[in-house]
Amino acid sequence: MATYAYEHRPDHGAKAGVLAYLATSAAVLLLMMVFGLLMRLEQAQWISIGADRFYQLMTLHGAGMVGIAAIAGASVMWHFLRQYVDLSSRIFIANLVLFLAGVVMILASVLLGRFHGAWTFLFPLPGKSMGMWSADAAALFMGGLLVIGVGFLLLHLDVARAIVARYGNFARALGWPQLFGHDDGKAPPPTVVASAMVTIVNVIGLVVGASILTMMLVNLYVPGFDIDPLLAKGMIYFFGHVFINATIYMAVIAVYEILPRYTQRPWKSNKVFLASWTASTLMVLFIFPHHLLMDFAFPKWMLIMGHIIGYLNTVPILVVTGYGALMIVYRSGIRWDMASKLLFLSLFGWAAGAMPAFIDGTITVNYVMHNTLWVPGHFHTYLLLGMVTMVFGFMYYLGKPDHETDDRPIDRIAFWLFTSSVLGFTLSFLYSGKESVARRYAAHLPEWVPYDRIASVFAVLVIASALLFVGRFFARIGLARHDYQRAPLARAATA
Amino acid sequence: MINAATRAGIGLRILVALYLLLATPAARTWLEATMSGHMLVQIPLLAALGFIACRLLPEAWQETLLAAAGGPVPHVVVALFASTWWMLPRALDEALTHLPAEAAKFVSLPLLVGLPLALAWRRLGSIGRGFLWTNFISMLAVLGWLYIAAPVRVCNSYLVDQQESAGWLMVKLAVLLFAGWLASLFVGGHAECGASDITGAKAAGTLGRASPQNST
Ligand code: HEM
Ligand SMILES: [Cu+2]
Repeated sequence: MATYAYEHRPDHGAKAGVLAYLATSAAVLLLMMVFGLLMRLEQAQWISIGADRFYQLMTLHGAGMVGIAAIAGASVMWHFLRQYVDLSSRIFIANLVLFLAGVVMILASVLLGRFHGAWTFLFPLPGKSMGMWSADAAALFMGGLLVIGVGFLLLHLDVARAIVARYGNFARALGWPQLFGHDDGKAPPPTVVASAMVTIVNVIGLVVGASILTMMLVNLYVPGFDIDPLLAKGMIYFFGHVFINATIYMAVIAVYEILPRYTQRPWKSNKVFLASWTASTLMVLFIFPHHLLMDFAFPKWMLIMGHIIGYLNTVPILVVTGYGALMIVYRSGIRWDMASKLLFLSLFGWAAGAMPAFIDGTITVNYVMHNTLWVPGHFHTYLLLGMVTMVFGFMYYLGKPDHETDDRPIDRIAFWLFTSSVLGFTLSFLYSGKESVARRYAAHLPEWVPYDRIASVFAVLVIASALLFVGRFFARIGLARHDYQRAPLARAATA
Repeated sequence: MINAATRAGIGLRILVALYLLLATPAARTWLEATMSGHMLVQIPLLAALGFIACRLLPEAWQETLLAAAGGPVPHVVVALFASTWWMLPRALDEALTHLPAEAAKFVSLPLLVGLPLALAWRRLGSIGRGFLWTNFISMLAVLGWLYIAAPVRVCNSYLVDQQESAGWLMVKLAVLLFAGWLASLFVGGHAECGASDITGAKAAGTLGRASPQNST
């Protein structure tokens, strides 16, 4: 057995690029949350903006949230990966510039061109708007996604280049020599393993996504070039699912890097850890058919594969990471502050969010639950209480004035407010789903409205607490650039 | 023991022989009989001959040629346009019916596609190469779909079923190339000294430029 010892490394401040990523994400996050609230208020019949506006907001909310989740995740990955390999700042910035260009195209498409075919741009909807939007508006939206995709492709190619330069190849970056051979304790650190996995799956996802986007753009103007709708759906879901899943696999790097600093215990890349990441590298690619369980025309083996892999993939990284975090914290005398609390909470949120997906990934359950609010209930839990919470933890960490500083009471209150209101908000989605409330409906039946009203109140509280987190980050953004110890040492570690 | 110059000389002679072989009426009739043979064998082979020939030229010549046209990017652009031209059904028809067009194909593919690509390739670095590969793969797949889905017969010289089988071949080729490219990331290369050792962090330095990804 290999032994692992904690090795202290200096705590690096964030490069300006990382802060630009985080600032962009935080600002767009708040705006998109407000859009989400407006949707909920419309369903609650407290405001009336009309169905068209609702779907425009839904399109922006979906695309915007997925986009900033990726941007924020990439900033976490880049910040920590830089400490092991030589990444290019220029490519990092180029990705942000392309992202913003794509965002402008998408905003123009939705706000000026009134495109509202949802972020999933499912074929043939973008080209069959019944006069609600023009082909140009749809093309602008899909073009915006393409531009964003090109940026991320460049970023991942740079990560691949840097990893290969240092570790030789991806097999070594994933720790295969240690996984399949003798574990000499010299497997690459968790950050490198996670970045390698994300890079592989995202490059594949992006190439598939770019292909279907190009095909749909051709079809938009020359409809004679027909696309098989099932093929299109498969490709879109493959790309979209890999891309949004990858955000949490990037953000979790914050947990791997930051929590050990509090208790001076190492995050081990041992065989179990390596096995879980290698298994998920494959499974993330084959899990998407669990969204297609209702599509009887898909080949049966694909649906069964989605069902089984959906079950299996819930386990590895999540359980290994949760267990790893408990080992770091257990009897360590850790001193909790906002950063460590949020990071710990995020693992709970991730696990809690995976459970409804696990249930819904069962074919028999799916016949009833599919396309109900159960699904937004699932992904809002793992994204809001998992992914976004990891990013908030990272932001608090970067901005911590020094390692002995205590959190302000208002931040502590906001932490509990955030936790409980997100739970209230997502449980309202889940409960509505259980009551068979359809998702993506602008107008709700009278008996559904009470849940919508409860959810709206929780949404306001979520936004209020997120506003405080983000405000605190911006107030401390100057500190984030400096190198100094941020984590308070655990009692067990100092003793 | 033969020196590099004579080896290059022999290599060039072999390439010229292959080129002439491709140009013989028999080989042309055979390869051009099907759309797949024309688009996916003859055309890529012509470009590949130019690529390899360029590699055999003395280093100094390559540098001069590269500099003469203003660096790697213009070269890639030229290669892109020239190769796109020969992907058009019209161009294929022309080549089959007009001898000058056929001659233009035999000249332009090695000289305007293979050669500039080979000149630019080394300079592109692994990001540029990866970018070209991934884009090429996705465009090949899309082109394959275009040929499969085309509502009309696009060539005068080939029937619709030819069109479809060429399209499917392109899609399959794209998948194979992608799998191969990804697999190449998993093999070869060597770790930097102490790379697996966490304390060696940040030793990577600027070595990132000379990535051992040359095979891609
Ligand atoms: C205050 C926070 C939020 C509120 C109030 C909110 C609200 C909503 C609402 C009302 C919907 C439409 C549900 C339906 O009827 O189908 C929705 C969908 C969605 N939300 Fe959120 N959301 C919030 C945060 C987030 C976050 C943080 C993310 C991701 C990081 C996210 C990603 C999505 C996605 C991907 C959809 C699906 C859109 C579609 O169906 O096309 N949301 N959200
Ligand atoms: Cu899913």
